Amino acid sequence: MKRTTIPFGPQHPVLPEPLVLDLILEDEKVIDAIPTIGYIHRGLEALVESVEYTEFGYVVERICGICSFMHGMGYAVAMEEIMAVEVPERARWLRLIWAEMSRIHSHLLWLGLGADAFGFENLFMHCWRTREEVLDIFEKTTGGRIIFSVNRIGGVRRDISDTELAAIVTKLQQLGASFTETARIFETDPSIRHRLSGVGILSREDAHAVDAVGPMARASGIRMDTRLTGTHLYDRLDFEPVLETAGDCLARVVVRVREISQSIDLIRQAVDRMPKAEGAPIEVKVRGLPTGEVFERLEQPRGEVVYYIKANGTKYLERFRARTPTFANIPAMIKLVKGCDLADVPNIIMTIDPCISCTER
Amino acid sequence: MDGTAFLARVEQYHRDGWRLALINVTTVLPAASAAHGAPGAHGAHGAEAPAGEAPAGEAPAGEAAAVAALPMGGPGVFEIAWGFARDREFETIREQIEAGTTVPSISEFFGAAFLYENEIRELFGINVTGIGVDLKGQLYKTSTRVPFSHAAVKARLAALAAAPVKPS
Repeated sequence: MKRTTIPFGPQHPVLPEPLVLDLILEDEKVIDAIPTIGYIHRGLEALVESVEYTEFGYVVERICGICSFMHGMGYAVAMEEIMAVEVPERARWLRLIWAEMSRIHSHLLWLGLGADAFGFENLFMHCWRTREEVLDIFEKTTGGRIIFSVNRIGGVRRDISDTELAAIVTKLQQLGASFTETARIFETDPSIRHRLSGVGILSREDAHAVDAVGPMARASGIRMDTRLTGTHLYDRLDFEPVLETAGDCLARVVVRVREISQSIDLIRQAVDRMPKAEGAPIEVKVRGLPTGEVFERLEQPRGEVVYYIKANGTKYLERFRARTPTFANIPAMIKLVKGCDLADVPNIIMTIDPCISCTER
Repeated sequence: MDGTAFLARVEQYHRDGWRLALINVTTVLPAASAAHGAPGAHGAHGAEAPAGEAPAGEAPAGEAAAVAALPMGGPGVFEIAWGFARDREFETIREQIEAGTTVPSISEFFGAAFLYENEIRELFGINVTGIGVDLKGQLYKTSTRVPFSHAAVKARLAALAAAPVKPS
């Protein structure tokens, strides 16, 4: 049969960021997909040559506009490990709370974009309206809505008062309650089921074979979540990852929908269990120049991120590397696209929650 | 590096149910340029010692001269780390290779390796043989060809030494 090559992207209605897939088709079936990224490659990793390690955290935060807090946190935690800094407990709890709030806002953002991609404009608006309330909490507690710059090596810059923490929990629980209706539509609406159920199935074996991470792996039934390692105080919370077994586009949507309520509950647990120590230190002064290297893992909304940092005793790091979740999920995406119908390509790409800025750095 | 022994270790990780977490490459520069930004150097990036102005016969004054004195595009070493994760565990296989050495692909055992391997070939100029999905150099679009090769890194450091970036 005659083969046709169709370029998908860099501009496409479902893609908020530029990604190119050269789709090789036989009739309407995709036989092969060749990815090209690089339209927004900013060379952030090379900036370690000219930005001092104390300021590099601001660069790391700007890798991505959605996971910016988690990137800043990952960098700070990794540097603290290299420099053997003992971070005050309150700062670690605050980081966990902001991190879980980032997950809520990221999932809501994605659910909106996902809904838009399968043609459900109204659902998109509901998700983004709900997300706005999370951004308001960020603005109130950090001063920023997207880029917070609240992490620094040695702790965090801002405290949240105990009363405000309690108010945040109440606010998030209200948000969770009002989101129930939206969640129900995602999980049960017949037109969404018709569009996503059974589309782009990634079996458990395939998910393992292509090293998928995050909601992508969990939707295929793999109990994989960096939070299970118990680092960053997750060992003090009751946590069990959300799992689905179908491995299709709908399962990936459902995992994210349920992770929103899970994150709200994790924040409630954190506020309950953290010592009521308003005014306790939230950062320690860090002096000296770092020497050593570290691999640091963290569970971002899109999945596991791995940082590698090598410091050589100067103001400038020798190497900074971030392996972001989208980078890890691209092989899974290509695997799914092969053999699917051309009409399903946009939904499959969307359900990996691609962040091209993260991938390219 | 001993390719056969290396692949045997990778296969063992594969058999034991580990997943590939990342492949990282570090461009290792000779000690003189690695001291870039060292305490005691004159200002940021040797602002007071512009490249090429160190008097002949004397020790180079400041890091700028040290960077400028390096042969551009000379041989160097890359440090490669293959990172594997399984639940709470994280382990790496580390190798140091001379620029120009060929590295075997591990896509045979870890399908996702092709993306990392295409990346290190494009960004570091390391030749990886037998990549599962060969993207033929079209994964990234960068303004500098092979931006993390020894020559490119040294060139950037030399440019920084000549026109330092002032900390904000």
